[in-house]
Formats: sequence, C-alpha cells, structure tokens
Amino acid sequence: MTQETGATAAQLKGYSPPGKPTLTRCRSPEKETFTCWWEPGSDGGLPTTHALYYRKESSERVYECPDYHTAGENSCFFNKNDTSIWVNYNITVVATNTLGSAFSDPVDVDVVYIVKPNPPEKQTVTIMEDKGWPFLRVSWEPPQKADTRSGWITLIYELRVKLEEENEWEMHLAGHQKTFNIFSLRSGGKYLVEVRCKPDHGFWSEWSSTSYIKVPDYFHREKSVWILLTIFSAFIFLILTWLLHMNSRSLKNCILPPVPGPKIKGFDNQLLKNGKSDEIFSALMVSNFPPTTSSNYEDLLVEYLEVYVPVEQELMQEESKDLHGGCLKCERSTSDSDSGRGSCDSHTLLMDKCGETKEEGRHTDRASSRMLTEAQRHQKGWEKDTLTYAHGDMVSPDMSNGRVKTWPSVFSPLPQYSSNPLDKQSSLEMAKQHCLSTSSCLTQPGHSTKEALGPSNWDFCLGNKQPHLLHPQTQVGRQLQAHSEVNISNIGRKQAPAGLQSPALRSTEYVEVQRVNEEDLVLLQPVVSGCGRIEGYPQMPKGKDYSKVKGVDSDNMLLLQREVMEEDWCPGVDQEINGGTGNCYTSSTVNTTQKPTACIHTAMPVQGDMALAMNGYVDTATMCTLPTC
Amino acid sequence: MERAVLLLSLLSLGVSSQPITDGQRLFSIAVSRVQHLHLLAQRLFSDFESSLQTEEQRQLNKIFLQDFCNSDYIISPIDKHETQRSSVLKLLSISYRLVESWEFPSRSLSGGSAPRNQISPKLSELKTGILLLIKASEDGAELFPDSSALQLPPYGNYYQSLSADESLRRTYELLACFKKDMHKVETYLTVAKCRLSPEANCTL
Repeated sequence: MTQETGATAAQLKGYSPPGKPTLTRCRSPEKETFTCWWEPGSDGGLPTTHALYYRKESSERVYECPDYHTAGENSCFFNKNDTSIWVNYNITVVATNTLGSAFSDPVDVDVVYIVKPNPPEKQTVTIMEDKGWPFLRVSWEPPQKADTRSGWITLIYELRVKLEEENEWEMHLAGHQKTFNIFSLRSGGKYLVEVRCKPDHGFWSEWSSTSYIKVPDYFHREKSVWILLTIFSAFIFLILTWLLHMNSRSLKNCILPPVPGPKIKGFDNQLLKNGKSDEIFSALMVSNFPPTTSSNYEDLLVEYLEVYVPVEQELMQEESKDLHGGCLKCERSTSDSDSGRGSCDSHTLLMDKCGETKEEGRHTDRASSRMLTEAQRHQKGWEKDTLTYAHGDMVSPDMSNGRVKTWPSVFSPLPQYSSNPLDKQSSLEMAKQHCLSTSSCLTQPGHSTKEALGPSNWDFCLGNKQPHLLHPQTQVGRQLQAHSEVNISNIGRKQAPAGLQSPALRSTEYVEVQRVNEEDLVLLQPVVSGCGRIEGYPQMPKGKDYSKVKGVDSDNMLLLQREVMEEDWCPGVDQEINGGTGNCYTSSTVNTTQKPTACIHTAMPVQGDMALAMNGYVDTATMCTLPTC
Repeated sequence: MERAVLLLSLLSLGVSSQPITDGQRLFSIAVSRVQHLHLLAQRLFSDFESSLQTEEQRQLNKIFLQDFCNSDYIISPIDKHETQRSSVLKLLSISYRLVESWEFPSRSLSGGSAPRNQISPKLSELKTGILLLIKASEDGAELFPDSSALQLPPYGNYYQSLSADESLRRTYELLACFKKDMHKVETYLTVAKCRLSPEANCTL
C-alpha cells in the first residue's frame, strides 16, 4: 500500500517509469570475454537502475551481469568464466525506478560472431633501400589480448598509407603477415601509415595510431639519369639530322616522287604557258604528218593485179553488200546472203560502198565465170558488168550502181597488212568517219574521188589509226582489185583462185585473152601496154576497154564491146572500131582461137584515180599497194 | 584420397625424418577444408535469414533458444581454457564426431543449389582427413580400437521426424546448428595444429 501510494504520489508529481533501454552492442575483443553496452531510456525523472539479465542457450536459469563497472557505464562485462563460446546468450536489460521498470528487447549473442579485436600494436615504419631505391617497411604486432599464438584467434591485417598533403588513403591487405613493404615512394615525401586487423569471422578493429615517416631525397639519382637521357637523345637527333641532310635528295624522291610531265613531241610547254593556242597547235603539226606529198600518192597507186580466192570472194561480197546498201549493184547481187549492211544513202558512203563493188564484181565474176563455162547467162552478166564499168565512168560517187573501183585512200597505203575481210565494213566505216570527222586529216589532192565528192569525203587520214584502218582494207582492196581485174577482162582468170595473195598481183594489170582452152577456160595473159603506166595524177586512160560483153555470136565467140573512151587506143591491139562510138568490138572465141583482141589496159597506177579508165571503172584499188607499187 | 595415400606411405616407411611436417600439412589441409565448410554454412544461414520476415525471425530466435542442436550431446570445450586443456587427440576426436554427426543430416539442408550439394561430400572428406590425423597421432591407435563405439544413434530421424509445418523452423535450426558446429571444428583443428607446430608464432 505504501508502495502504491508512493508510486502514485510519484506519478502525480509528474514522474514516470523509466523508458525502455536498448542494447546497443556487444563485443568481444579476443573471443574469451565480451562486453555489452546499452542505452538507457528516459529515466522518468527518478533515479533509475539498470540490470542486465541473461540466459544461456540450453538452460532456463537467468543470470545477472557479473560486472557493471569494468567496461564503463551502462555496460556489462563478461569475464572468462562467464563467457561460453558457441552458446547463445539471451540478454535483456531492465531499467527500474520507483515507479516501474522497463525491459529492453532481448538480444541473442553468440560470442564467436561478435569478435572485434583491438588494433595492432607496436607498429613501426622504417625506410629501407633496394638497389638505391628506398621503400617503407611497416611492421606491427597483434593486439595483446588476442591469442593468436595458440591458434585460438586467427587475424588478418590491413594497412593504409597516404602522403601528408593528400586526402585519400592507399589500402593494402597484408593477410596473416605482420610486415609489409611499400614501394614507389615520392622523394622527400612525408607518409602516414596505419594498420588494423580482423579475425576470421568478426569485425575489423579500429585503426592503429598513425606512424609518420619522411622519405629522404633521392632525386639526384634521377637527375643524372635525365641528363644522360637528354644527351643521348640529342646525339641521336644530330645523327638523324645529318643522315637526312645527306640523303635529302633520295628521300625527297622517295617520299615525293617527281610528277611526270607531259611529253609530247613537238609540244612546247612554254607555248602553252603563253596561252597562244594557235602556236601550240601549229607546233603540233609535224612536218611529215600527215603526208602531203604526192609521193604518197604514188605509193598508193596500185600497179598490179591482185588475185583473190573464192572464199575471200564471198567474204568480200559480204562486205560489199554492207557497203552497197542502196547501190544498184547491191541489189543485183542477189546471191549475197547478207542483209544489207549499211546504207548507200550518203554520198560519202557511196564511194566506199561502190568501191566495194569489186566484191560484187567478184561475185558477178563468179557468176560470170559460171556463165562462161555454161555460156548461158553470160550475156546478161557481161552486160551487167559493162554496165557496171560504164557506170564506173562516173567519177562522181553518186553512181549508185556503178562498179566504182574507188578505194578510199585511207585503205590503200598499207597493203602489206593482212586484212580480215570481216572487218572490212567496220573498218571502212570507221575510216570514213575518221576521215570525215578528223580535222587534221589531209586530203589527197590526187584523189579524184575527193574532187568528185568533196575534200571531206576522201580525206586521207594518216596517223596512228591509219594502219589499223588500212589494214583490213588492203586485202579487200587487193581482192577487189582482182575482182575488177577479172571484170575488166570479163574472163575469169585462170589463176584467180590461186594467186590471190600473191604480191605480184598488187597492182592492177590488164590481161588480154590469150586463148580459150579445151575446157572452155579463157586464158589470159597480162598485157603491158604503154598506155597504162601512168603514175601520179590521174590521166585519161589509154587503150581500149573491152570490159563489156556485147554478146556471143554464133560461133561461140565473146563479143567484147569497147567502152567509149577518149584517146583510147591501145596500140597493138586489133580492134574493130565502130564509128564514133569508139567501141571496140573484139571477139574472142571461147573455144580455141587465141585472140589477142582483148584490149586490156594496164591498170592506172594512179591512186585514187576516180577518173574512169578506158575500161570504164576507176581503179582505186591500186591505192592498196602503196609500199610495193 | 591423396591424403590417405600419402599418410599410409609415410606410415609404411616407419618413422620418417619429418613426420611433423607431414602432420602439419595434413592439418593445414583439414583446417582449410573446414574453414571452407564454415563459410558455406555462414552463407547458407545468412541467405535463409535474409529471406525471412522480421516477425518470423523474432519467433525463430525464441524458438531456437528452446530447442537445441542435435550435437549438443557431444561434450566439447566451450571456451578457450577448456580447449587448451584438452589434448590434441581429444580435440581431434571431438571434431571427428561433430563432422560425422552432420554427415547424414547435411543432405537435407534444402539441397538444390550447388553449394549445398557439396556439403555432404565435403563432410565425408573432412571426416576421412580427421581420421587420418587421429591415426597419425601417437595415441590414435588406442583411441579407436573399435570404430563401432563411435556409432552414434541415428540422428537422421531427429530432423526427419518433424512435421511439415515446422519445416521453416527446422531449416533455421539446421542451418544455425550447422554453422556453429563447423566453427567448432575449425577452432579445434586450428588449435590442435598450432599446438603441434614447433614455431610459437602460429598464425597460419
């Protein structure tokens, strides 16, 4: 009752029971003893006492704290006798005052897991040298209480280092060892070193007291090294400079190779810099480029007959087909299987195409030969031939159906090239275009075709392209020449199929009918008449033209009709002159008689002579034989 | 196995020049193994504890105090004084018994994860190592003339007889007891090793 009155009185005065204390932590420094600290609650204004009670794991008996003072205030110290390892302690703190008591929350403690050792002791830091370079050696001792010797506690250590002026520590884990070396020191720096430890399963201890150490200056050693390095590098630099200077030129060529300048013969850079284009281009004009002398023309003259082989005849026919598109001759050569390559519309093309009529002539010749042998349609064929030749009189390229033995000068000068007949047309076209387009092409004055067509049409384009262009044409030219030769004679040459490539046939020749053998073959013999050898500019052909077949009489004699020619008379040739027509009728027996009636004119050696020879065609194939004529 | 072979070879040779060194090596191996086991047990327990609610944790703590580990019947030194008073052989034998007591129940330690599956075989190996150490000691031959004396009552039933609803509590107890026992063995073996080592500074 008294108690209650006292308590009530105390309560009335404003006092209250103590607040609830709390156990803050329990720690064991060496796993042999431990201490618990608590935080008291409000005391309620009255003197409050605290008591700590604990209970061990396996028993219900409650013990009170044996020592409240050793560890300080609000603590309970458990000595060795009271401490059991691997035993759970249930600890409770009770605060009591006159009004009441308050129990704290129980805390389970196992001493093994609350070990926090003391910091390491006897820490020493010394400076030692390793081949002239200093380093710090830190050594310490485990805390005194911790029994590491018997193995009861196993500790691991950690230390930290920093320079005095820095803020961040450099941590080093030392493991179980009690010494540690620190390298890479700054010369003349002041270092701070601290160490701490931790058991296998526990908490880190506090950091030990700081040790100060000052590193001596060893900069002079570094300085000497730097000096040596500088001298060495300077020496190397001097050597490199000297080497560079000695090899400056070759190095310069290696690194910056000289830019090759343009090297054009006759091209003067100074002229170009001066900016006068006229002079530049005039400088490009080489004296012998392109050939303008007439000697070239002479070279272009074809002076012999070319014989072709039948295979090539077909090819040539194809080529001629390409060229003649619109030529009458093209139309006539129905045997050609080609489908009208090219067109004969343009004047410029006309000459070339008509120049290709030789092929057709060849074709017709074959037909003619067939006619000869068969003696069936020969008349018609011959008439055709004569027509052709008659039309050949026309120098103008407008002759669409004339067998113009015109050959572009482009193709003539290089007869030695073996041409590919298939390329004829393309090359012809190219040549023509080349001739037409290139401004630098020179015109051949002797080219009658040019006179007829205009200088632009038959420009003789010399140059690098020329050989190529001429190349395929020469053979054609040769072949066509042979063609025309045969046409002239109206007789298939006996050696026609054989001696096509014979160089002796390069120049057009006129043959005369020698005889007709038993096999109904007309034998020809070359006739070298004085009226034919004309070189240089075209001249009117002399001699008679017996290229036209007038007919075959009853005696199976070929009646040749001589073309109308001026001053054409071939000495030594018998001929029948009919009136003013100048037609020379010669008859040649197909069978046996040898009648040198055929007046065959020698080929005009004039290259590019568009003027109709007596035979009625213009022999331009002679141009193909430039070098060998 | 390597330890067995090595130790047997040493025994066959009779007294070797450095028996202590070999013994130390064996001790080092045993200590390292038990340390690893202890770490495993700690991790298991902490993982389990973290997965619990606060309320459950409080209840478990209370419950844990009421029950006790199965190995409590094995009398072992519980402080340093007692431990240092015990002979090496006694320490080894106690360690052996502790490890053996967990050999079977460790399989039920909520196996599934890799670490937990390794516990039982590791315990077996550790047991073998401790046995080797016991036999290598001078008094070992006398202590275990009959291994049958060490046959303890089956304790597997102790943990398996519980009902399902107490599984959570049982797991908690299992893990806590396991952790404690491993620490015991680690301590005993470390002390025994350091006692046998000639150098006074036994910190390895």
